Amino acid sequence: MRNKVYSIERKKARWGWFFVVPALVFFALFSLYPMLNALWNTFHNVKLLSNRKPEFVGFRNYAYVLSSPEFWNSMKATVIFTLMSFIPLSVFSFLFGLVMATRKTGTKIMQLIIYSPAILSSVVAALIWLILFDPRGLANSAVNFLMQTPGIDHKWLTKASMLYMSTAIIYFWKYIGYFSIIILTGIAKIPESIMEAATTDGANARQTVCHIIMPLLKPTTAMVSIVAMLNCMKSFSTQYLFTQRGAPNAPLNVLTLNIYQTAMRDRNISRACVMSFVLFIIMMVLTVIRMKVSERKH
Amino acid sequence: MLRDKSLSNRIWNWLIDAVFIFFLAILIIPILFMFSASLLTPAEIYSMPYPWISDKPHFANYYNAVTDYGRDLTFLRIIMNSVIVAVGTMILSVIVSAFAGYGLSKFRFKGQKVAFLVLMSRMMIPFEAIMIPMYIIAVKLNFQNTYVGLILPFVMNSFGIFQMKQYLESFPDEMLDAGRLDGLSEWGLFWKMVFKNSTPAIATAAILSFRGQWDNLLWPLLLAQKETMKTIPSYLVKFTEEKFADEGAMMAVAVIASVPIIILFLTLSKYFFGGSTMYSSSKE
Repeated sequence: MRNKVYSIERKKARWGWFFVVPALVFFALFSLYPMLNALWNTFHNVKLLSNRKPEFVGFRNYAYVLSSPEFWNSMKATVIFTLMSFIPLSVFSFLFGLVMATRKTGTKIMQLIIYSPAILSSVVAALIWLILFDPRGLANSAVNFLMQTPGIDHKWLTKASMLYMSTAIIYFWKYIGYFSIIILTGIAKIPESIMEAATTDGANARQTVCHIIMPLLKPTTAMVSIVAMLNCMKSFSTQYLFTQRGAPNAPLNVLTLNIYQTAMRDRNISRACVMSFVLFIIMMVLTVIRMKVSERKH
Repeated sequence: MLRDKSLSNRIWNWLIDAVFIFFLAILIIPILFMFSASLLTPAEIYSMPYPWISDKPHFANYYNAVTDYGRDLTFLRIIMNSVIVAVGTMILSVIVSAFAGYGLSKFRFKGQKVAFLVLMSRMMIPFEAIMIPMYIIAVKLNFQNTYVGLILPFVMNSFGIFQMKQYLESFPDEMLDAGRLDGLSEWGLFWKMVFKNSTPAIATAAILSFRGQWDNLLWPLLLAQKETMKTIPSYLVKFTEEKFADEGAMMAVAVIASVPIIILFLTLSKYFFGGSTMYSSSKE
């Protein structure tokens, strides 16, 4: 009898493995192997479409990349873009999530509207704004109308500082709904009993927000800001489309774009992989922080 | 809950409502602009004040978008490519995720924890960091300009697996045991009981993967450089490069690219939002 139970357990364990194996195989082939391959590439000189056997070059690729001004420009562009988009995203997603959580009517339509930019593909989003930001476009006339400065071109697509601004606006516009909905779900998960207790104890709206919602929502807001940061660091489509349409390269040349161009235009796989590795390390550190944050919740 | 009835509070609430509604209006304008501009000529798009709706809608934009100015119907092929890639990835990814989620939540075996951590670690590896070696591997495997090459790298999806595991953890064990007693094989059990009864998690995972691929620019840009194998995002980039000054036609392409996902969103919005719950959900 005991033996039989044991063998059933073993049989079940085998089925458990059977179900997990396909995912593991895909992981090994399309994540782990490329990852290791990337690491190998950084220590060799690998060129795209070249039949020459790659040779071992030690840390030369790292030395080259880390001392190249173009790489540091990319770091700068990535950091500025990330800061300019993820901070407003974190702050406003909290506010809007809160507003939506406290309205009784029209919540469904609010959610649909605020989320709608998030469903468009990033190229479509970038393209719409490319036209809006045209010197003759709606963005100029809207700003000129608000600031009473008729006929001024704000150079959304040509001036470096404005390009940071316009790409950040696009990113904010596209993702604000996505993150607001996360906050909204977080608030909805706060037990009704806690809210009721607060009301019976005579807490007013401001007190409820500051002393109940905010502390309880801390893990979710932390998560939102880190996920937003990670997404901003990976941004590619907007910058790519803008440069393809002739906007200046320097402020748009974020790490992902630089990786793409180093590999495909300069055909230098090794240097592209060094930058990929830098990006990976940064994002891994951020993800570990994020996991620590979500663990603390339990 | 947050509303008491005092006058000052009511005024505050009105004010917040007004600001929020104003914000929502601004948010939706670019989308309305896309639809509106797709029926205007470039001159109209840049005329001030902006004519939201023209008396003579410029339907030629759509004709030019679909037929590439009467040249050929490549764009239809592009749409088909996008559908094949997105739907193909979606189906494979849902099956692989449901498998893994089931194996991780309803079985006990050695190495289970490690397997879970390994699968979740994919979240830490940004695609952008492995795309170059992946491209070289794909070239070696002759995956260039093939659907297989566009689909396979996105089949394994940590978010989908997490979603399925989370959902199946609360799936009643009694049902599974009852099925086993009825003589269902483990394989049959999975398809007849588990897969059939996990619609919400499956729909969420499916939509997550579908829109990911519908939106994907970077990988098709690398892998599918042949005209007829492009997907909508990379085609759109190419179209805007070539038709530098025909904004109306560009917007028509953008509308066509967006309509499928907008329809999905309006009918299945619940599952679109479902993906966001993951971040705010705790285990309990």
